[in-house]
Amino acid sequence: MTAGNVYIAGVGIISPLGVGLAATEQALRNNRSAIQPLSLFSLQNPPALPAAQVNNLPASNLPRTHTLALAAARQAMQGWAQPPDAVIMGTTTGGLLTTEQLLTAEVHDQGQYCYHGLTTVAEAVAQQVHCPGRALTVSTACSSGAVALSLALRMLQAGQADWILAGGADSLSHLTYFGFHSLQLVDPEGSRPFDARRQGMSVGEGAALLLLTTIRPDKPLGQLLGAGLSCDAYHPAAPHPQGKGAAMAMQAALDDAALTTGDIDYINLHGTGTPDNDLAEAKAIRTLFPQPPPLSSIKGATGHGLAAAGAIEAVVATIALTHDLLPANTGCRLPDPELQLIPLLQPSSQSAAAVLSNSFGFGGNNGCLLFAQPDVFAAPPTRQHRAPLSIVGCACLSGAGNTEESLAGLMQTQTIAGMLPLETISANLPARTVRRLKRFPRLALALAAAAYTDAGLEQTPDSVFMGSGWGALSETYDFLEKLRQTNEQFPSPTDFVGSVHNSAAGQIAITYNATGANITSSGGDYSFEQALLAADSLLDDHSAPAFVIGADEGHAQFSPLFDPSILPGSSLADGGGGFCLHRKELPGTCQIRVPFYQNDTAAGAIDKLIAALGGKQTLLSDYGLLMAGIPAAADKAGREQLAEFLSKSMLNIPLVYYRQFTGQFASASAVAAVLAVQFLHRGELPSGLVAAGEPTALTGKKILILGLGTAITAMAVSGP
Amino acid sequence: MDALTEELKGKLIGILNLTDVQPADIDENAQLVGGELGIDSIDVLEMVVMVEKEYGVVINNKNIGEKVFSTLTALADYIRTNSPAASS
Repeated sequence: MTAGNVYIAGVGIISPLGVGLAATEQALRNNRSAIQPLSLFSLQNPPALPAAQVNNLPASNLPRTHTLALAAARQAMQGWAQPPDAVIMGTTTGGLLTTEQLLTAEVHDQGQYCYHGLTTVAEAVAQQVHCPGRALTVSTACSSGAVALSLALRMLQAGQADWILAGGADSLSHLTYFGFHSLQLVDPEGSRPFDARRQGMSVGEGAALLLLTTIRPDKPLGQLLGAGLSCDAYHPAAPHPQGKGAAMAMQAALDDAALTTGDIDYINLHGTGTPDNDLAEAKAIRTLFPQPPPLSSIKGATGHGLAAAGAIEAVVATIALTHDLLPANTGCRLPDPELQLIPLLQPSSQSAAAVLSNSFGFGGNNGCLLFAQPDVFAAPPTRQHRAPLSIVGCACLSGAGNTEESLAGLMQTQTIAGMLPLETISANLPARTVRRLKRFPRLALALAAAAYTDAGLEQTPDSVFMGSGWGALSETYDFLEKLRQTNEQFPSPTDFVGSVHNSAAGQIAITYNATGANITSSGGDYSFEQALLAADSLLDDHSAPAFVIGADEGHAQFSPLFDPSILPGSSLADGGGGFCLHRKELPGTCQIRVPFYQNDTAAGAIDKLIAALGGKQTLLSDYGLLMAGIPAAADKAGREQLAEFLSKSMLNIPLVYYRQFTGQFASASAVAAVLAVQFLHRGELPSGLVAAGEPTALTGKKILILGLGTAITAMAVSGP
Repeated sequence: MDALTEELKGKLIGILNLTDVQPADIDENAQLVGGELGIDSIDVLEMVVMVEKEYGVVINNKNIGEKVFSTLTALADYIRTNSPAASS
């Protein structure tokens, strides 16, 4: 590969407009809206508000989001025999609709909730398409689909994969239907973006996936030429009033592709139809474009597909590039003069060589993608990073307390598992700052603050990479519980805004004015590793320092239902680890890498792991401690994998099973990584952690942190 | 000081989790949104839910909302004028 060209080899789409590219194109040509009163589930207080749902979805044992994603994946892979190297899904709801139904039916059997986790959507897709590599999940609210595609672009340009299947999927759910209504963001007459009388959005659903490759197919459907990510760092739910973050993302996408505004032939707007979004987006476009090209939002036709929206609109961009169709801004009859932009009121048969596609979400999370006809523009550069990720600061929270207290706890009792009181978690944060934050965002913000203090930086971090297996459980539970208690009348808008997985990362951005990329990853027990992978892909040699944080909250009702590693009768544990990382050679600092991440644990995976770590000789000479993370739910598989690894590598160094002292929670590996840094700075291990007679001195060697079980991952932490 | 205004102060502190504020600290004639208490649009919606649930008064229009939530006194007046209990 000599250039950073990324081609679109296949697309799959299922939306309220129909199934497949042809049906989608036909609906767009007819300027047809799929917005109807919701009928997917019954309501206690009719009439139903307008929504956009996918009809005639085949029955499945899987949750609706999964079924939608699998349908899109099947289409995208049609005609391609070889599996992709990686799958990257954007989703916010995962198996939530099924979870809601189970909760209503008062089902208490943990096994029934096995598809709740966001990661299960990507895993189901990876399984269907026989993907041997990474199955990654990003959850950045309504920009998720676009952020997933951005991450895929970076991984392809960095040479980490040749083929990636990426996009987004979300199903309708009670949480999103009632949540947006509680924010008074639903238009009772159906979404009509950019119209003077618009009153809001129409909640929707769907899935779209794009097969992206660095290897030019015979008939590419287009190129993903650039991507721009930004964060408003302004408010948890409202956009920056001047559209500052939106403009930054668009400019970043243009810069990334080395194009100018004059090269853009069409802009696919985020255009939800809420008064504030459309105004902010219009201002952003007018700031950048002296003469804006034709533009439209399709959300008056498709509704707002949430995490799917950015991917659905990416497929619409390929229709514009290859079928000479610029879709209409369905629903808009009287363009709002205040916006000073007239969207396309009818579909237009114009060709477009370059298309910008906007996606914005809660947390001020912005993603802008730039698509182009193949081989029209100069190839973008490759993105091989050379400098390491240096750890300029880090901190953890465990059941024992902060970093110092956790280390002391290890010395004294060999266990630091448990749950700190809420007030103790946020002891380092002002009461006003945390008044609306429940357990998960408090953990995350407290970790960011402590890592930043530890770093002693003058420059504040610019980007945030968050990993969480379960996200904001308290907010989600409280929202659904209040909905139930009040017969669907009075759910809390605050809880809805807080329920999105990326609410914590959004809070960190607001606190530190971090206006760069803001990505929340969710990969079950490997979520922190996924956050590190995202940071590694997005941070280049000129990037400012970044936060990389892994955290999960223990929740009395939800954790035992969702997390299979919480065995019946066992007590809950939570916490996490936070890092300030800088892609720079910095003497005196520790460094962290993720040399291996693979979801397929089948035969050969351990050999690949050993090879990725540099082979047997390197392992034997470089590493002084092995920290193994085996989730209780995968104990047997994890121990077998570890035994195979030890036998094949002949590694004979101190081994600790870190979940034995951190307790069982999804981002326990983030705590392990922070402790590894502490051990390296001290040059020795707490004596209680290793067997009597084993060496405690690290003598300049690295620490290997393995994640085992349903995926196999490796993090390598090297000393100062 | 009327009882409704006092009651609203307590409810406000509760639903907005203003743990560092006492009822006496709140000036019922001071600007409510964007003022010293740090109340923003999400808090306003939380108050909308509370007012509907507790007093049966619906506020679903942004223009009315801006007037109603300008001060605590204005909110109390609006509830008094529009509550089903008041009109009966």
